[in-house]
Amino acid sequence: MTLDRNHYECIVRLENLQLNYGKVEALKNISFEVKNNEIVGLIGDNGAGKSSLIKVITGVEKPTRGKLFVRDKEISFKGHSVKKVHDLGIETVYQTSSLGEKQSLWRNFFVGRQIKNRWGLIDVQKEKTIAQEMLLEKIGFRGVGITVDSPISELSGGERQGVAIGRAMYFDADLIILDEPTVALSLKEVAKVLNFVREIKDSGRSCIYIEHNMYHVYEVCDRFVILDRGEVVNVIEKHEISLNQLNEYLLSLSTKKSV
Amino acid sequence: MQSNDTNAINGAGSGKDPEIRTHIGKWARIEGLPIILVFLGLIGLFMIAAPKTFLGYYIYMSFLSTIPPPLILGLGLTLIIAGGEIDLSFPSIIAFAGFVFAYLFKNYQWTWAAFILTILAGIIIGLINGLIITKIGMPSIIATLSTGFFWTGLTVVFSGGLSYNIAELEKLNIYEFFVHRIGGIFPVQSLWALGIAVILWFVLNRSAFGEHILFMGDNLQVAKVVGINVDRTKIVLFVLMGALSAFAGLLLTIENTTFWATQGSGFLLIVMAAVFIGGTSIFGGQGIIVGTFFGSFIVGSIEAGIVATGIQGFYTRLVVGLVLLVAISFHLFMEKPEKRAILANFFKFHR
Amino acid sequence: MKFSFKVLGMFVLSIACFFGFNAADSSAQLLGDGMTIYFQMGGDPGGAATLPRTNGARDAAKAFGVKLVEQYSGWQQELMIKQMKEAMAANPDGISIMGHPGEGAFGRLVKEARGRGIVVTTGNTPLPGLQATYGAGGFGYAGVVLYEGGKITAQEMISKGGLKKGDKVLVYGLLSQGPRGESTRGMKDTLDAAGMTVDYLEISNEVNRDFTLCAPIITAYLTKNSDLKAIGTQHGGITATLPRVLKNAGKKPGDIIIGGIDLAPATITGLEEGYITAALDQQLYLQGFLPVVQIVLSKKYGFAGLTTNTGAGVVTPETIGALVPLIKAGIR
Repeated sequence: MTLDRNHYECIVRLENLQLNYGKVEALKNISFEVKNNEIVGLIGDNGAGKSSLIKVITGVEKPTRGKLFVRDKEISFKGHSVKKVHDLGIETVYQTSSLGEKQSLWRNFFVGRQIKNRWGLIDVQKEKTIAQEMLLEKIGFRGVGITVDSPISELSGGERQGVAIGRAMYFDADLIILDEPTVALSLKEVAKVLNFVREIKDSGRSCIYIEHNMYHVYEVCDRFVILDRGEVVNVIEKHEISLNQLNEYLLSLSTKKSV
Repeated sequence: MQSNDTNAINGAGSGKDPEIRTHIGKWARIEGLPIILVFLGLIGLFMIAAPKTFLGYYIYMSFLSTIPPPLILGLGLTLIIAGGEIDLSFPSIIAFAGFVFAYLFKNYQWTWAAFILTILAGIIIGLINGLIITKIGMPSIIATLSTGFFWTGLTVVFSGGLSYNIAELEKLNIYEFFVHRIGGIFPVQSLWALGIAVILWFVLNRSAFGEHILFMGDNLQVAKVVGINVDRTKIVLFVLMGALSAFAGLLLTIENTTFWATQGSGFLLIVMAAVFIGGTSIFGGQGIIVGTFFGSFIVGSIEAGIVATGIQGFYTRLVVGLVLLVAISFHLFMEKPEKRAILANFFKFHR
Repeated sequence: MKFSFKVLGMFVLSIACFFGFNAADSSAQLLGDGMTIYFQMGGDPGGAATLPRTNGARDAAKAFGVKLVEQYSGWQQELMIKQMKEAMAANPDGISIMGHPGEGAFGRLVKEARGRGIVVTTGNTPLPGLQATYGAGGFGYAGVVLYEGGKITAQEMISKGGLKKGDKVLVYGLLSQGPRGESTRGMKDTLDAAGMTVDYLEISNEVNRDFTLCAPIITAYLTKNSDLKAIGTQHGGITATLPRVLKNAGKKPGDIIIGGIDLAPATITGLEEGYITAALDQQLYLQGFLPVVQIVLSKKYGFAGLTTNTGAGVVTPETIGALVPLIKAGIR
């Protein structure tokens, strides 16, 4: 499938998206877009609908109504799956549910996209070699006693994010979605993640960055989309607002709720 | 000098004595090693305590003719449990499949056609299990418990509770194919079971399908997120178990050239015991085929060994229970890196 | 070392003792000395239908100096086959089996065992075909002649219980389990012939093993059939459960006649209270004792297999009293 890298306006666009879980309206008639080579910060309180939005884009959930466009072409939700999404060049790094705890690093790296040998079985050697290369050399993994055979449960929080991000990088996505990637990371690791986000921009790709911590997200984003209770309440370009103003605005939103 | 315990707790242990660690580490990596050792130890014990029985070949040949059916069930169950599910309907598949084969042979003299239909019956039962679990969303423990009753009941209804004597099968090719004695003594069904064990090892550990099972058992949410079609994987998994159970029922029925309406009903607990003795965790996410293989042999031989040593029959359950507890505790112990390091420490001290 | 009379004395004394003991031993040589017998007890260790059999076998083994190896199968047929194979691996002098798995499954194994000189005999449930073939080599049967047993029980129910033509009777049995169903058949045939209105219920696999589970089934049947006059069964555990079920349903002794089998503690109470009219006594102890005797004599002297009907007759409320102490000891 040829990916037309440069000749589109929006890598991803959602039109009039509605997602209901039974009676609960998780997403109310949302329109949302990420332009070519743009870093969008997706901000909102818990329950605002950030995760639901991502799940719809990435094929984990099917919406009640609405349209999805990838590279300006409409994508049908029928048969829209995580696998398809990977083929479309969209990768996700989730906060907690990216990796299988008991499984080894090399399995986590390639699961769902296994490299097969001529017998149709997994080429374990190849997968281990590539995982080794990526993690130790490209990402600079220095975890003591960690090898590609280590189960994820033996890795620290930062190391786990490293694996998930490394995986997304390896599979060369045009849109990388980061779901609160700096939670529970040390300062050094946070800096790494932010550098990585800058790298995404520099390499011509796009990113949706979900974050609570304004100090992190403000730095690297081009635009902010603010969700509140399933609706888009505001879309602000970075140059239109300062960090302090953004913080104040978000605070006012949350206090308005408690009234 | 930094104590090994600190390293052990950090899960690293790469600091002091890497030689010891890799030594133990290398052995610990052989799948199912603890259970192989327990099994050999038990046989050794039996040889000492009951030499008349256990130093001859006959008892082992007898095991190789009676253990394959529960062994095959255990292998299938290992995959199911690794996938985070459970199947309680396999005893009833043993009965139903046995009935299908015996009925078709007795009334129409079908052999190979009966074989195919028997496996097909298992596949259909497994498919029904899978559909109930995925489409209706019933937890597998409840679903398979219920379908188990259903198929057992259906078997009794169809067979009238009667047992079928199919001794005429002995003269036919199909009998030789499945239960021939090589050299007059070696039961060929054990080779079938071995073959299935090898295939299932590759399925679980080297195929994409197997990897999907592992991730599904590890964390369902993660499995969905990494693109695994969870519903399809579950259905295929239960279909596979259905087919394997039917095959096990077939081997049992052909070996005994008899179908009993209640056959298989005693297998539920012993097969599960074999799987857990083998080291597979009830929580899913991993499955130790080699462990189940030797666990089945332990469970299948232990009562015979105990009575042969002259320990009064009343004690056998007691001893089986003890062995189970010890074996599983041992597994849980060995799972944790810090406990493995304590063991390594112990050996170092005694060098 | 200095010579010591004390040490010499001790030495001589021990030699004398050694010979003395051996002399004492050789005069008390038991018939089955050095023999090993593998015995399939049928149910679970200590189970109601199994314990008297176990005690009988153990007593016989002790009396004859035989090493007894007990096997328990929970009545699972494929397990009985497995245990026969394992018994043969020990090359014992004799193996006592039961007929449940049937001749199709046992045929091959018995042939092989006989080929190796192992005496095979059976108890509790017969294997008539194999007995005919291998009787000369010691293949006997110690158990109830099942059809007769059912017949006798039914006859007692009719005569002692005062049942009349057209009375409604429930037969709760195992008609479908091949040879084992013969006892139920004997009972049912007799009741049919006497003109009773016979209703039949099959005992499920679960109830067969865990007989207290019959309570709700029988209770439901009672409420639906208020004109029921009698219940007949040839299952020991169910016999023991029925008195309590009737009591809980508000029935008094004699309202519904019970005919059953075996003498479990609850059955004894049922007989004493009058709820149970007749219980066929299998004399399970003999089903354990006699096969051991059979094997010892056949192995040693080549005697042929004997058929012994251990179902001597029924126990009634009148005759139960004398048996109570023996039953408490797990003998009857």
